[in-house]
Amino acid sequence: MPNSNRTRRSFTKLAGLGALTAAAGCTSGGGSSGGDETSTDGSAGGDGGSSQQINYGGIATVNAGEWSGFTESSEWGVNFVTIGNSPGDILSTMVAGGGRQNYDLLAPVGGIQPPLVEQGALQPVDTDRLENWDAQYDYWETEQGQAFVGDGGDVYGVPIVWQGDSIAYLPGEVDREITSYGALFDDEFAGRVAIEDNYTTAGQKTAMYLKANDMADIDDPRNMTESEITTVVDFLIEQKQSGQFRTMWSGFETAVSLMSEKEVVVMDTWEPVVFALRDQGMEAEYATPDEGYLLWAMVDYVVNPPDERSQSRTDAIYDFVDWQLSGWYGATITQQTGYMTNPAAVPYAEENEGFDGEQVADIHEGVQRKFDEIGGSWQQRWPDNREAYEEQWQRLRNA
Amino acid sequence: MVSLRRSWIPSLQLLPAGLFLGLFFLIPLALTFVWGFWPRTEFWMEPGVTLEAYRSFVTTGRLAVYLKTLWLSLATVAVALVAGYPVAYYLARKIDGDTAFSLLFVFVLPFIISTIVRTFSWRFLLGRSGPINGVLVGAGAVGQPLDWLLFSDVAVLIGLVTASIPFVVFPVWLSLRTIDASLLEASSDLGASPATTFRRVTLPLSLPGVFAASIFVFVTAFGSTAIPTLLGGGGYSTIGTTLTSVLGVLNYPLAAAISSVSIATMLVLLGLWTYFFDLEQLAAMGGDA
Repeated sequence: MPNSNRTRRSFTKLAGLGALTAAAGCTSGGGSSGGDETSTDGSAGGDGGSSQQINYGGIATVNAGEWSGFTESSEWGVNFVTIGNSPGDILSTMVAGGGRQNYDLLAPVGGIQPPLVEQGALQPVDTDRLENWDAQYDYWETEQGQAFVGDGGDVYGVPIVWQGDSIAYLPGEVDREITSYGALFDDEFAGRVAIEDNYTTAGQKTAMYLKANDMADIDDPRNMTESEITTVVDFLIEQKQSGQFRTMWSGFETAVSLMSEKEVVVMDTWEPVVFALRDQGMEAEYATPDEGYLLWAMVDYVVNPPDERSQSRTDAIYDFVDWQLSGWYGATITQQTGYMTNPAAVPYAEENEGFDGEQVADIHEGVQRKFDEIGGSWQQRWPDNREAYEEQWQRLRNA
Repeated sequence: MVSLRRSWIPSLQLLPAGLFLGLFFLIPLALTFVWGFWPRTEFWMEPGVTLEAYRSFVTTGRLAVYLKTLWLSLATVAVALVAGYPVAYYLARKIDGDTAFSLLFVFVLPFIISTIVRTFSWRFLLGRSGPINGVLVGAGAVGQPLDWLLFSDVAVLIGLVTASIPFVVFPVWLSLRTIDASLLEASSDLGASPATTFRRVTLPLSLPGVFAASIFVFVTAFGSTAIPTLLGGGGYSTIGTTLTSVLGVLNYPLAAAISSVSIATMLVLLGLWTYFFDLEQLAAMGGDA
């Protein structure tokens, strides 16, 4: 194993050199599609120059932009680094790259802990050390939810952001309430529909639709066999070739602009897109689908370092996660992103200046309703047949 | 002793450059090529020899993406040359040097803005409710907005060509500026029309610049991912986006195979370039203008 690890590290270094060479030679005009996905937020530390920092790698959603609520009561600062959310990005970082040395905590959308645990990259979370743990939402305590945050009976991901995804639509352009993913495939909206370029979201929602309406024989939309994902993609290709989709999208800004410019009127997307459209004065709704929501949570993973971590650093990491489960952080993230966080966020937002308590409460109630009353299917981020998923999705893109 | 030392000096002078090239270019390229033949494991790959990655490249639609990217890049080169050559010709032969330099600066200006922002502006211009469709519908040229202006091959081509124009204008302008004016006068004195002079003298002598431009534009278009994604739509596939997708499932051998094929394509083009046009000609363009 040590040899294997050394080889991986060597590869990463050489691959970096290769990428540099390739970038110089191949992408001088436009190789920056992904935008800045690995930038360090230098202002985020807020630790007054403290040399002790918790290295926190997370997707942009979990970045409060201000950590003084934690750092003022701790000897530790916070060094936030934005990371990509795709399983490939995270596994590359943690398994092939030096992520275990570079990060103390990792905060992507959950569900990818099985391969990370298998590679020894994560530590189980001792939830007894988190004072706020018992007060948290417990939606993860279903079979699917446990698979999203745990592995082998242990909890590895502490949920800090919760959501259920469906589809957005513009009531001004769509003269009825949408209650099914079937709207994505309705002739009435042909050419004015977009789906996300992501098989773990658009692919799974389509599978949920086909299964719920007995249109395909799919056992588990969360974890399809090769023939099942092929069936789903065949269906999507048929739709694409008939002109149903205006485009496939990726990235929040693109999603917002597609609807704000009315290029599309029905879209498989994230709920904050609806909030952004409303902020622009547009009428936009997020559907409650009969097939259920695509449920997910962003989680904090405690990274397993290659060398033993000091007790003080371990304590600081747990203190920081505990702080994220409290009112200020929850209210801030809910207000920034439109996602549900932790139960303490609502009273905090209602009792403190600078927050819109009503808005935070509405968002939390809305997401709770998704989990409590409607339900759905938890997103599968690491399907068994992921290679087939990728190949089939490539076929859809090419069609 | 002195002659021996002298004979070593050129070799020693080449050493830093040789080491740099070897470490940062040749070794990574060689490793990329070798990894394309290694068997894949769940998270990594292991030494061995298999054609599985290349089989996957050919049989899963990725070959079609490669060919499409090749076609798109060549189309970009052709359109950019047709659009950029007249501009370079005008700047080099029709106006004085100072004005030409000022106008060349104008071509650089848009590149102060990021590719993403520039490309997003095309999204606005080409969209269903954008000004181009607005004018077309308003003028009665079309009954309803043209959907194919955006999220299409046309949109991607427009984006790539506009991003590439400076890469045509600069080298072609440089090659035209180095043409000895007496050659053009001689052609005219011998009775050739301006069109004949252009076809028989100017164009052939500017070809090193044209081919330099072709390589710059081709490389830019072939490796671009932002423009195809923004103007072709999220599902628009190029070899660059395919590479990203493959890395998403940790298929490193396939990513290496795709990279190897892409690099081979570039090398073949460079080989053709050096075969048809002596590199020294391009170097000579930097002489007196």
